Amino acid sequence: MPKVNTFKVKVQTGEQGMSEPVYFNFNNHKMEFKNVSGSAESGKIFEGDFEVNSFAHSLTLVGPESGKWEIERISIEYDCENEKPYTIQFGAVTLDKATEVNIWQDPPIPAFDV
Amino acid sequence: MPGNLRLLGDFGSYNIKNNALVLYPLRQTTWIGDNPLNFIKKIFTGMKRDAESESPVVVEEQQPVEEAVSAPEPEANPGFPEVRHVLQIPAISESIFPENSPAVLIKAKPSPTGDQCLFTVNRPLMNGNSWYFPDFESAAGSPLAEALFCLEDVETVLVCEYTVTITRKDKTLFDWVPLAKEVGTAIRGVVQAGEALISEKIIAELPSEEEIREGIQKVIDTEVNPGVAGHGGNVTLMAVKGNSVTIKMGGGCQGCSAADLTLKQGIHTSFRTAVPKVGAIFDETDHTAGLNPFFS
Repeated sequence: MPKVNTFKVKVQTGEQGMSEPVYFNFNNHKMEFKNVSGSAESGKIFEGDFEVNSFAHSLTLVGPESGKWEIERISIEYDCENEKPYTIQFGAVTLDKATEVNIWQDPPIPAFDV
Repeated sequence: MPGNLRLLGDFGSYNIKNNALVLYPLRQTTWIGDNPLNFIKKIFTGMKRDAESESPVVVEEQQPVEEAVSAPEPEANPGFPEVRHVLQIPAISESIFPENSPAVLIKAKPSPTGDQCLFTVNRPLMNGNSWYFPDFESAAGSPLAEALFCLEDVETVLVCEYTVTITRKDKTLFDWVPLAKEVGTAIRGVVQAGEALISEKIIAELPSEEEIREGIQKVIDTEVNPGVAGHGGNVTLMAVKGNSVTIKMGGGCQGCSAADLTLKQGIHTSFRTAVPKVGAIFDETDHTAGLNPFFS
């Protein structure tokens, strides 16, 4: 597992948004994003980042304490030590107080043409 | 009290007569928490139901436990945060090839462990199914596999829809570039020739999903799970598509540093021995998820 320097998340909310702060769980530590812009309300785009400087075991986006959060698309830019920066995209998912969604992906394995 | 009593220590004693389990608990026993005799009853009655469901097990209590005191029900949330369920959704992958390219394009992606390499082709190689060629002899009649086994270092070949996965004989070599270029040339040559890639006999004898599901589930229940249970692990059959199966490792296997070894040397071997026509075996375990995964 690589050491994550920073990651930046961009979340496009669908029809049902939420007004609570957006939390993530890094290695089971629940935290808020830094440098937040936009919101997680209906149809809006939320952006935030975090300087981690730690090894990634798990990283999840946490659902709201009340109501549901319909996410249309999640885009995460990872900057890991000794790796090229890479971006991972996820599709639609709905979160609530009992769920969170995995947004961690290892750096892509290099492929070459043969 | 009948003969052949077996003592259960401080719990009392039991005997089996006429295929019935008879428990003799100690008198005036006060249990903190669940009465252990209830636990023993559950074990025996559960075992009997599994073994011979038609003969009910009669449980008699010669001296019933009087007013067993149970500890109060634990609170639903005794000061710990609610455990959330982690959803796994697939990442959206962009196409790795330009659309409608007339050329046969092939990308090679060695596995992180270096023991195998995945080749993705912009042409279908086997629609909806997969086939595992364990050796040169098994490739007879399948031009794609024959061409690949002509390469000296190729050990096994797995063809699955748009991909070919190769394992190599020389496990000490980590650099896949030289062999991958030879594999690419071989695949391209066969695909461009335009003939059938896989033997007609194999295609005609492909098993149904139900046959694959039954066979694999039986191996999991009788071989795999009893084996990994010693380490607190378990394996679940998640899906069958064509003759390809998807499994998930749980319990002690999830996040275990030896999971890859268990999968490739234990589970794959068991599956392929018992169900020779099983094709690709996918593992969708997220070894980083969960509250307490084990990392090496």
